[in-house]
Amino acid sequence: MENTNDGEKKVVMIVEDDEFLRSLTAKRVEKEGYKIEVAVDGENAISLLDTLKPNLILLDLLLPGKDGFEVLKKIRSLDAMKAVPVIIFSNLGQKEDIEKAKALGVDDFLIKANFTLDDVVTKINKLVKK
Amino acid sequence: MEISEPQPQQSKLIELSQLPVNPLIFWGVVTVGLVVAVVLILSATGVVVGANWLLLVPVGAYLLIIGFFISYLSKIYRERNRLMVERIRDEQIKIDEFKKLNQDLENYAKQLFDKDFELTLANKRLQSLEQAKSKFVSVTTHQLRTPLSAIKWTFHMLIGENLGKITAEQRNFLQKGYDSTQRIIMIINDLLNVDYIEADKTDYNFLPINLTELVDGIVFEFTNQVESKKIKLIFVKPSNPLPEVAADPVKIGMMLENLIDNAVKYTPDGGRVTISLSDARINSARSSVEVAIADTGIGILPAEKDKIFHRFFRGSNAIQSKPDGSGLGLFIAQDIVEKHGGEIWFESKAGEGTIFHFTLPIFNAETPPK
Repeated sequence: MENTNDGEKKVVMIVEDDEFLRSLTAKRVEKEGYKIEVAVDGENAISLLDTLKPNLILLDLLLPGKDGFEVLKKIRSLDAMKAVPVIIFSNLGQKEDIEKAKALGVDDFLIKANFTLDDVVTKINKLVKK
Repeated sequence: MEISEPQPQQSKLIELSQLPVNPLIFWGVVTVGLVVAVVLILSATGVVVGANWLLLVPVGAYLLIIGFFISYLSKIYRERNRLMVERIRDEQIKIDEFKKLNQDLENYAKQLFDKDFELTLANKRLQSLEQAKSKFVSVTTHQLRTPLSAIKWTFHMLIGENLGKITAEQRNFLQKGYDSTQRIIMIINDLLNVDYIEADKTDYNFLPINLTELVDGIVFEFTNQVESKKIKLIFVKPSNPLPEVAADPVKIGMMLENLIDNAVKYTPDGGRVTISLSDARINSARSSVEVAIADTGIGILPAEKDKIFHRFFRGSNAIQSKPDGSGLGLFIAQDIVEKHGGEIWFESKAGEGTIFHFTLPIFNAETPPK
């Protein structure tokens, strides 16, 4: 089921400040046949969205500078990005965080430590197929 | 508040009432003396001679009557003084008592004020300590979960051969590394759950819940775990549909996961875990649905039955069989069930198995649980 043609590949944007987690996630998702775009912080993510139109965004919450919630607000305020699936992928997982994210319009909320990258890929496949 | 003292008046009255002799005798002596003196003066001056002596009789009688009258008045006066003095003395005693009482009250008020101040301070300190604890727990757990995620994913990617082929021996070791990481994550999650549960005592969202569906979903999550241990996980669905219960689905889900996880974890390979729902208590005073989770596991030792729901307590046979564990699962489960207005209990035979039971009240739109 891997896409061989680069032009047809669906784009997954990974917003993650931890370098190792970012590279692991990118490696695993890339293997599934997606084209990966990475952002290392909130500012970086927002500026990338000027030119990029990813098919899904994997978003961490605790980021230096602008945090994940602010990025999420920005995403939902852009006409082109209103419907793009967003999965929160964070180690924050208090009820308040989950509710705040849901109110801002996320498709899923995963706590990193409680899932494996295989689980994340399964979620991505489900949401991108829609 | 000071009370003025009527001292001078009192001392004067006391003097008056403390004449050394009985006034009757005193005034009697004075009168007789006067009569004798008048007679002596009259006879000595020669005014009274012969028959004139007779005049002395009415004068004497008159003087005597006056004398007795005065002495009587004096007696009444003395009596009145005595009573007044007594009354003043009584009043004085009362005033002293009031003064003492007043002083005591002032002392108590001051003590109360001091206590109140101390308690307010202590309470403030406790609150900030509680906040600091919550903050500490959530920051620590978050900080721990990030590197643990990295370790977990690395193991998982290696095991999944995403980074190249591995040998059976390598897989075995990597799987152990993965399992250990997973256990640490579970313990951290338990700590976070306890903190969360204790911090938000009122934060329960009771909804009408179809328990059969909820249990079904959770049982499904255990598919892989029971397969690898070759444990039969059976959910005996009720033959008739059950009424909805009043429950917070997130919290009940959390506790069901915990109870089933315990049952699976402490049941030897090839054993059985059975979950059943019962409507036996629907017509009781506290209408409720009963859930039972029965396993063929290591059981709970009789000596430890009383402690099994205590925070951080783990059965000695449980520690022996699984060295890691937070001892928080059943503590959390009990807390959640009780906040729903339900009950939790168990039956167990060491070495044969355990049945955990808990009840959840039927949803009633008119009287939702508090």
